[in-house]
Amino acid sequence: MRGTVWAAGLAAALVLGGQGFPTQAEARISLEKCVICHGKGEFRKILVDGKIRDLFATGDSLKGSVHEKKTCVDCHFDVSEIPHRARPRRVNCTHCHYKGNAEGAPQSDASLDYFGSAHGTAIARGNPKAPLCQDCHGNHQILKAKQEGSSVAKGRVAETCGRCHIEIYAEFKTSIHGVAVARGIAEAPACTGCHGEHRIYSHLDPKSTVYATHVAAQCSTCHESVSIMGKFGIEADQVATYRNSFHGVADRFGSKTVANCASCHGTHDIRPSSDPMSKVNPKNVPRTCGKCHPGANPNFALGKMHVDARKKESGIVYYTALFFKYLTIGTMLALILHIFLDMYGRTRRLRGEK
Amino acid sequence: MKTMRGESGGPVQVIRMSFMFRVQHLLLMVSLFVLAVTGFELMYHENRLSRFLIDLEGGILNRGIIHRAAAVALMAQLVFHVFYMLVSRAGRREFREFLLTAKDFDDFLQAIRFNLGLAGEYPRFGKYGYKEKFQYWGATIGIFLISLTGIVLWAENVSMRFLPKFMLDLTLIIHGYQGLLIFVILLFWHLYIVHLHPSVFPMNRAWLTGRVDAEWLREEHPLEYEKLKGEGVL
Repeated sequence: MRGTVWAAGLAAALVLGGQGFPTQAEARISLEKCVICHGKGEFRKILVDGKIRDLFATGDSLKGSVHEKKTCVDCHFDVSEIPHRARPRRVNCTHCHYKGNAEGAPQSDASLDYFGSAHGTAIARGNPKAPLCQDCHGNHQILKAKQEGSSVAKGRVAETCGRCHIEIYAEFKTSIHGVAVARGIAEAPACTGCHGEHRIYSHLDPKSTVYATHVAAQCSTCHESVSIMGKFGIEADQVATYRNSFHGVADRFGSKTVANCASCHGTHDIRPSSDPMSKVNPKNVPRTCGKCHPGANPNFALGKMHVDARKKESGIVYYTALFFKYLTIGTMLALILHIFLDMYGRTRRLRGEK
Repeated sequence: MKTMRGESGGPVQVIRMSFMFRVQHLLLMVSLFVLAVTGFELMYHENRLSRFLIDLEGGILNRGIIHRAAAVALMAQLVFHVFYMLVSRAGRREFREFLLTAKDFDDFLQAIRFNLGLAGEYPRFGKYGYKEKFQYWGATIGIFLISLTGIVLWAENVSMRFLPKFMLDLTLIIHGYQGLLIFVILLFWHLYIVHLHPSVFPMNRAWLTGRVDAEWLREEHPLEYEKLKGEGVL
């Protein structure tokens, strides 16, 4: 049975294979040799810390993945002896994944951003826990991010990140964005929606999309859009009202300590204000404001937070602004009128005097 | 029309603004200017000039510090001015001149009637006519009111203890519009009285020299002129 599938796979590789692929004969030799050991179901290694490393791999391992047409040594190219004298190194994806490659990999350098990211620099510093490409994208079963089953697909990426960031995953899972992602809402952001894909930095790094002064812009990419927010009955002018507030203006001019969206709404644990666990639930507002403004009281939580004085719904604020607007215009007109009247009268007065 | 000549040959002049008033006027001018610039920067922060000025001041936090420093100066002047006007002899004398009387409102109406051609005679003013008095009281009360809203906004942590959010929104709106209103009044009213009015154009220099021509006084403030004449000053 396995042989038939294999033959089909090879035939496909033969038909579709591009330049640089091993010839059918080479591929067969490579695979035949590898599966002598790796094709045994119990082929595994017990590591010193007691973990079991499964070393089982067959010709089916790549089936259905984007690397379907590849063979073992295309990636494990450092393996040249059997049994391996040295432990084979972890696969280096940049062997093929760079712009201008001839291997048929996507022509993109986007993945190079990884090397400057929080993860890439951690690897470079020698942190053994930091993730390489395959830790997020998977090993043999790598799919395109757009394919639903991919470990970095929107529906699954949180789980993938959560393998290391477990507490954050727990917070996110029950947040409004997490729930929306789980429901399959295409607009909702998973981890990468806010943090970026390869260029993930610490939120304390000015390059980060979630750095204090970038948060508002990052949230606005969706929350300012009437077409996205309209679908879910969320107001899109929260962004504009924030920008015109003391907080927003200070943020815009580079203050790192002023409140941005996340300061009040939370980060991974954002919930709708109607949720009693929300940081912006009226019950919790005094505590949330109190982080910066000690003494904020329940009274302060009354009424709307995001107020636009130009909108009728703002009630007394709107009418006061309107009153002052016409008072100012009226005063201005009255003064100008008086000035011209006075000038006109003065010429008459002087003429009369002569 | 003959111009009065003094002993030195120049026109006869009388003191209109004492040294103390010139100092107060100068301080008021500087602090109002700084407050207006730093205030409108925030009110119209989208404007490119505002952004340029904020950068010039070294950021939005410095803008606030400058604004509040000027505000402290202004409020200190207001307190000093109240005491000066009520306690010192020179101040009390000036204060009496500034008190609003029924005559001022009559003058105002009569001036309008005259300007419209409905009355035969233009009102005769004392040292300060209705234009000066209305401006003085408007500015003083305006500065007092804008100080109140300014303090509420400045002490936001105290305000948040007592006031609901919409009260602070309201305070901010009122503070901004109060500033705009004071600015408009100064621009159109003060500019006219002491700069554009044909009798003083391009500028009444009393704020620098303290003096005005007796001839000007005779034309624009005849009651004051006659009073000084009666006292033998002229």
